[in-house]
Amino acid sequence: MFAKDWLAAPHEKIRFDVKLVMILAIVAFLLIFNVFPMCYLIFRAFVNESGFTLDAFKRIFTYPLNWNALYNTLVTAGLSMVFGVMIAFPLAWLVGRTDLYGRKFFRTLFVMTYMVPPYVGAMAWLRLLNPRVGTLNVWLSDLFNLSGNPFDIYSIGGLVWVLTTFYYPFAFITISRAMEKMDPSLEEASKVSGASPLKTVMTVTFPIMLPSIVAAALLVFVSAASCYGIPSIIGAPGRLDTVTTRIIDYVYVGSAEGLTDATTLAVALMAIANVVLYVSTCICGKRQYITVSGKSTRPSIVELGKWRLPMTIAVGLFAIVVVVIPFATVAMTSFTKNLGKPLSLANFTTHYWHILFTRKGILDTATNSLIAASVAATAGIVIACVMAWLLTRTKAKGRHIPDFLITVGSGTPSVVIALALIMTMSGRFGINIYNTLTIMIIAYMIKYLLMGMRTVVSAMSQIHPSLEEAALISGAQWHRSFKDITLPLIAPSVVAGWFLIFMPSFYELTMSTLLYSANTKTIGYELFTYQTYHSQQTASAIATGILLMVIMVNWLLNKLTKGQFSI
Amino acid sequence: MLKKLISCFTALIIISYASASQAASKPKVTIYTSMYEDIIDAMTDVLHKKFPKYDVEFFYGGTGTLQAKIAAERDTKKLGCDMLMLADPSYALELKAEGLLHAYLSKEAENIALEYDREGYWYPVRNLNMILAYNPENCKKEDLPQSFKDFASNATMKGACSMPNPLTAGTALVAISALKDKYGYEYFDLLAQNRVMVESGSVALTKLETGECKEIMILEESVLKKREEESSSLEVIYPLDGPIGVPSPIMTIKDGWSAHNNAKICEELTDWFLSPEGQSYIVKGWMHSVLKNPPSIPYDSIPTAEIIKKAMPVNWANCLKERSELRTNFEERVKNKR
Repeated sequence: MFAKDWLAAPHEKIRFDVKLVMILAIVAFLLIFNVFPMCYLIFRAFVNESGFTLDAFKRIFTYPLNWNALYNTLVTAGLSMVFGVMIAFPLAWLVGRTDLYGRKFFRTLFVMTYMVPPYVGAMAWLRLLNPRVGTLNVWLSDLFNLSGNPFDIYSIGGLVWVLTTFYYPFAFITISRAMEKMDPSLEEASKVSGASPLKTVMTVTFPIMLPSIVAAALLVFVSAASCYGIPSIIGAPGRLDTVTTRIIDYVYVGSAEGLTDATTLAVALMAIANVVLYVSTCICGKRQYITVSGKSTRPSIVELGKWRLPMTIAVGLFAIVVVVIPFATVAMTSFTKNLGKPLSLANFTTHYWHILFTRKGILDTATNSLIAASVAATAGIVIACVMAWLLTRTKAKGRHIPDFLITVGSGTPSVVIALALIMTMSGRFGINIYNTLTIMIIAYMIKYLLMGMRTVVSAMSQIHPSLEEAALISGAQWHRSFKDITLPLIAPSVVAGWFLIFMPSFYELTMSTLLYSANTKTIGYELFTYQTYHSQQTASAIATGILLMVIMVNWLLNKLTKGQFSI
Repeated sequence: MLKKLISCFTALIIISYASASQAASKPKVTIYTSMYEDIIDAMTDVLHKKFPKYDVEFFYGGTGTLQAKIAAERDTKKLGCDMLMLADPSYALELKAEGLLHAYLSKEAENIALEYDREGYWYPVRNLNMILAYNPENCKKEDLPQSFKDFASNATMKGACSMPNPLTAGTALVAISALKDKYGYEYFDLLAQNRVMVESGSVALTKLETGECKEIMILEESVLKKREEESSSLEVIYPLDGPIGVPSPIMTIKDGWSAHNNAKICEELTDWFLSPEGQSYIVKGWMHSVLKNPPSIPYDSIPTAEIIKKAMPVNWANCLKERSELRTNFEERVKNKR
């Protein structure tokens, strides 16, 4: 619809306009694989073989269970969003802008959480906080002599806890990036005028950061609302359904009616996500502070003074509870024979690690995921670079259309993307990529492109155009200047952006659950089946393996590029 | 340096992507199955030796998951598989009625102890049994329910019992169908009252080990596997109202619908799976054989004839007819009861 009036623009320049061709290519990709499937999904929710009908809607929304699920989704995603941002903002500030001890270490640690599958966290917390014999529960109740166990993970609170601890990194990454490119002169002014560091944060930093905070909040909300792994592991025993688990249940009922019901519910979920997206764009749109995208400056470091040690301890404690304990639990599980007994020499085994390296199913799926995620990340980052250039360096008409579509894509719940792709890309409209790796790559790109794009765009806006202008004046073509000036300068962000697309694609579960086929099963799905069907220990070994791989790649990148590149 | 690295890397991705989408040269058979990955691994090796000319590949998924997948694939008029070894026998009735199956009269059929399709559309290939299990390290056997009826109605089980999900597991669907026929839908309400946790096998077994659950409804093979492989002390209780036997079928998709149109090869495979040799691998995989003279019994189990004799009757036609109704009722009465 946007494209239409825009296409009516003058045509005389089209022949040589590389910008236009690139915009068109990206828009075409998004129209075919994102907009069209979504529209068809909405169409199918209202129209069946016998024509237009509201039957499915009536069926879905007169069913109290679905209202319950809707309520649970809104509450858990909403609370995770609030808590996630409340955690991410101070953390991003402490780690990015103060002289906290071990800032770099903490930064890597928090970003690391983004790099492991969230349902792995659910596994760990399940063991730690189940109401009858949870390890942490029992320990706490012994320590404080309580009559019962203090926590119940099978509750709304438990769900919010796990969702928050695994989705706040999305907000942390987004807010950190914005904070790093903030112009510090305003903060300095506040400081000079006698404001305390805390007052400066509240009256200067926070308001300037608001657009990024809103964007971060949105990301957490949509991720939490469309998550399948965590609610299916935590929610099932507590009888807590979310819209995503309901949709997957409807698909599993296996009938045609089940599929229609799933579609209809998916449309409802999409509507919620879009409303949230719209509201946040409204807030952000009104508040574009020039100071955020000004000249390249390195923000000053705030000295914490007497607060330095206590703050470091506080952040350290947070890291222990949220990162170290669950990951250590998972790692220990992978070596434990009998999960009912503590890990001891008699109860120790490397059997599951042996399985990890020898089982064909695991190796095959890991290869599939590696290929799919690499292609998605590489293609995604190319689009991200082009988009960054279009957005920050050109005034090309319509450059905000692909930007908008990419944002909508990421704001769409995963399960909706997958359903829509299945319905439209299995030959009905001339494209048949169902059961191939390609459909997965496209799904991953639509879902995760935004994180990569935002990273590159923010890096690009830090580089002053004068450098490129110098190249142009010296006679270089625009692509030469892009290759020789811009690319080397934004390279660290490009690598970081690549990983931000690669990692979630690598262990993706929700979409893969619906899109996999005999030859394209992914490691995320394999890990989930091991967790739920075959053996939790093997699942833990896979998860720990993924984490170790991430740590190694990060270390290697850091070493090879002398600290210039890291995740 | 960096540029070279990046270009090498990109080339690698493209090459591996291209090679991943290429097909193998040997005639191929893909089998959708709900058997454990360990068993699939063992079977793949054996089949590789037995049938070196063919490329036989298993694809694992829960029965419900695979049914949903097949439902989506049917839309494209071509399935992703050539054979099915799913748990739920009623699904064979459905596919036969819809004309998706290939008929073949196996020479091994006369040795089968259980009911099979006389026209050769499907044969039982492994005999699974839904039972109860407990952890003797945490509970005494005599304190626990000894029947499915008691499992749902005994108040001491409240919040400490678990069962598989009929939405994803075919055996669980068969189980709730049999239990519904015997005790009515009230049985579902009793389960809900006892706050049964609905989850998959590995999660439930872990809960039994840690003591979070006292007793669980589960497939016999899962417990036996754990006993043999991990010297686990978990034990089976064969319910007094009868273990629920699930004679899981093997069936071939007819050419045209199947992924590789190799029905002739599938016939050979069917014969092998039903032969004493094929059945011995089923038994090694902790499932009971379907033969009149079983090669052996699964590790630590009771004789196959005994478990068949004790089994709770299942009405397969009902199970098929009421599949959606059973799943929806279970959803409403058990899974989502607050």
